[in-house]
Amino acid sequence: MEILRIEGLTKVFGSGRLEVRALQDINLSVSKGELVALLGPSGSGKTTLLLCISLILEPTAGKVVFDGQTIFQKDGWEGGADMRRLRREKVGFIFQSHNLIPFLTARQNVLLPLSLIGIKGKEAETRVKELLEYMEIADRADYLPALLSGGEQQRVSIARALANNARLILADEPTAALDTGRGTKVMDMLKRIARENQSAVIVVTHDERMIEGFDHVYHLKDGCLERNVMPESVNE
Amino acid sequence: MHLAFYDLKQHRGRFIATVFGVGLLFTIVQAMNGLYRGNIYEGLALINATNPDLWVVERYRGGPFNEQSTVSGFYHYSVKAIPGVEKASPFIYYTVERPVADKSRHFSIIGYDVFGGLGGPQKIFAGRNIEHAHYEMVAHPKLGVHVGDRVPLGLHAYTVVGLTKEAISSDGEALVYLSLPDAQEVLYQRDNEEIRNQRERLLRTLSSQSYLSPNQADKLLAPLQSDTHIINAILVRLKPGADRAEIARLIDKWLYLSAYSTEDELQLMLKGRLASMAKQLLLFRTLLLIISVVIVSLVVYTFTMEKIRSIAVMKLIGAPDRVIIRMVMEQSLLLTIGAFLFGLMLIQNTYQLFPRTILLVSGDTLFTFIIAFAGGILASILGLWHALKTQPAMALGG
Repeated sequence: MEILRIEGLTKVFGSGRLEVRALQDINLSVSKGELVALLGPSGSGKTTLLLCISLILEPTAGKVVFDGQTIFQKDGWEGGADMRRLRREKVGFIFQSHNLIPFLTARQNVLLPLSLIGIKGKEAETRVKELLEYMEIADRADYLPALLSGGEQQRVSIARALANNARLILADEPTAALDTGRGTKVMDMLKRIARENQSAVIVVTHDERMIEGFDHVYHLKDGCLERNVMPESVNE
Repeated sequence: MHLAFYDLKQHRGRFIATVFGVGLLFTIVQAMNGLYRGNIYEGLALINATNPDLWVVERYRGGPFNEQSTVSGFYHYSVKAIPGVEKASPFIYYTVERPVADKSRHFSIIGYDVFGGLGGPQKIFAGRNIEHAHYEMVAHPKLGVHVGDRVPLGLHAYTVVGLTKEAISSDGEALVYLSLPDAQEVLYQRDNEEIRNQRERLLRTLSSQSYLSPNQADKLLAPLQSDTHIINAILVRLKPGADRAEIARLIDKWLYLSAYSTEDELQLMLKGRLASMAKQLLLFRTLLLIISVVIVSLVVYTFTMEKIRSIAVMKLIGAPDRVIIRMVMEQSLLLTIGAFLFGLMLIQNTYQLFPRTILLVSGDTLFTFIIAFAGGILASILGLWHALKTQPAMALGG
């Protein structure tokens, strides 16, 4: 089942002589349980594409269909589509610098997205406990982020992204702040999430060593998706 | 989730310091409220406690408290003769600075007709009222005296026969009640050397007049001495059913004096001596409240700026604006309410230490709280403005 479909997506900043085409005619489709990598050097448009997929940045042209609902067509955001509501109910985010709320404990950080969608009390506590156990960080539940290692913070960040049973998980350079060992572990977790939770996972990275086992790998260059390379492990 | 609470819990050191700092400002605001009420109370206490039907004073003067008034002592007989007047008593009021119990004390003296006249102390909580024509006094305990103490004033020592707390002088100092002649003596009795010098000067002037013999000059000396039978006001009690306005008009027309009701006297004080003080205190209170709001505003702004990335993350994961507004506003209100409660607790426990009366009125406290609460909301606006314009995209990237 298709979670995200992007057709002919273009994003232009400025106009006239100052016009910059950040994204050009992007076509992308991600289905349930699929793991997709977006590779590209700095300035290639990765973050712009992520912002468009995150429903934060309005594309200039194209079409975005998310979970069967057209949310953008050439004239702009589709009427009635509450982007923030879609994000809190159906999208999970994992960041390069973890971005945990520093004044909340690990448990409270995971609880936050649940409280935003109205899940409270015992139901929320049970879900948080399950997620922290799933991420093997339950023993650190009452620690503030500052007292956790980088890897532990990233695991809490992943637990937070999973809290709302996200249909789509967007990971922005999730291994950039981690050493190779911890980075590999995080990538393994993302693969597990895609397979077990049946969430569509899009990972933006510049580290080609981390994409082994991905279903699709896209290269972004100067705002264009140049090729779709299937990693060997998948081809086999 | 109480995000504001969790954030403040992590920054509790700064939160407590701000609550203390702003709380002290609120203490001053409430002390000024109390000082304002206390000044009004003190300024009007003697008028309210004396409460005659009419205050008769020197013509066109707003006396005897708001403005100096001098009336010849015998006028009270004339006032008494007006139809409808039941009683007219001489009254004298002045402020002195004299040594009492080895300390220089500033206090006010009231002289009144101790034999049934108006203007004396009504409620004695220790000892008794003045019963003799001379050398007895009733004092406010603020003077630092006890029943039985002897207080030298001028040429004589006066025995404290009673203590009263009922009234206080209009400038917040202790009151001392004396018989009228004693009060006049304390006020007008000059130094013996000065009396002798003046008498010598007068005798020399009279003796130099060619139309006066030395014997005649000597005879004129006594009647030409300055008159000490001066009073400040006449207190009037009317007969039941008497027309107060009409009697006041008669006094004005025939005795060339001014007559005020107690309500008029209160208004004279409120619009006169107490008015500028009230404005001054209002201005101070307003400035302090503004300063409190500015401080809370800056602290909330700093708190908000420090978590601007967290706010971006919250927006990115879909937190609606109301969650962010609530967080910023709750912080502002927690700071303001915490500071206000600290200020209230401090003033409630220290107001007795102030030298002037601090009269804490729950209505004033509530009003100040409402202003502070509104100020707390106002203080969060700067932080809110920044929080709401934060782009969720800020959360992405390194």
